[in-house]
Amino acid sequence: MEMFMMAAVMSLLGVAVCAALFAAATRGERVEASRPAEQPALAPQRFFASAPAAAAAGEPARAQQELVPVEALLLQIEQHIRLEQAAAESFLRTPTGQSLQSRTTSRLLN
Amino acid sequence: MTATLPDLLAGLAEEEAARVLALGRHSTLPAGAVLFNLGDAADSLFVVERGQIALTLPMKVRGKEQDVLIEERATGQTLGWSALVPPHHFTLKAAALVDSEVVALPRIALCAHLAAHPAVGYLVAQNVSAVVGQRLQVFQTMWLREMQRVVELSQA
Repeated sequence: MEMFMMAAVMSLLGVAVCAALFAAATRGERVEASRPAEQPALAPQRFFASAPAAAAAGEPARAQQELVPVEALLLQIEQHIRLEQAAAESFLRTPTGQSLQSRTTSRLLN
Repeated sequence: MTATLPDLLAGLAEEEAARVLALGRHSTLPAGAVLFNLGDAADSLFVVERGQIALTLPMKVRGKEQDVLIEERATGQTLGWSALVPPHHFTLKAAALVDSEVVALPRIALCAHLAAHPAVGYLVAQNVSAVVGQRLQVFQTMWLREMQRVVELSQA
């Protein structure tokens, strides 16, 4: 009888220890599981938004320019020179500070 | 030649203009033919009789030298005024954009004629000054505009 009681107490004790350890282990998971719920929308949005945003900022302009064929680039340069000559001739006809500093529509600079 | 006189000879009587042009040698240039290269000895001044001549400067684009169009000269216009300005070296390259004809006026013969006919020389010098001065003013303005952009970029 004493042996039976001892085994029963030991079993109950073992179950209690297991339950306590289980509870302690699952509490950490619950805390971690609650964190991603706070930022699920931010992470993918930042991922997809980052490339176009950077492109708009002009950072990869060099990479884009390299995609332009040399012939097209030369045409842009010549167009720029023509526009600048026209702007210079316009300034010389009626010299004002405003016409000297007028903005260009050249694709080389815009 | 067109009914109107070339810009080099503006203001001259027709007979006087004909005498100046008679000093020259007519050349035909097929499209793409080079009239002169940058740095060549400038021994002749050219008047475009027909066609279109491109004036280009070499520019390095993606590591390779390319001819970039700076100006075009059409019928009746003059090019190659470096022939009259020391040290007599062309500062641009000239090539025909389309089939063209030019009159090449040798500097020595032209200067001798102008010295012998001071009234003609005076008008021709005025016309050359107009070509040179106009280009100087245009390029000075272009340079100022580029400098303005450099200043803006340096402050950005």
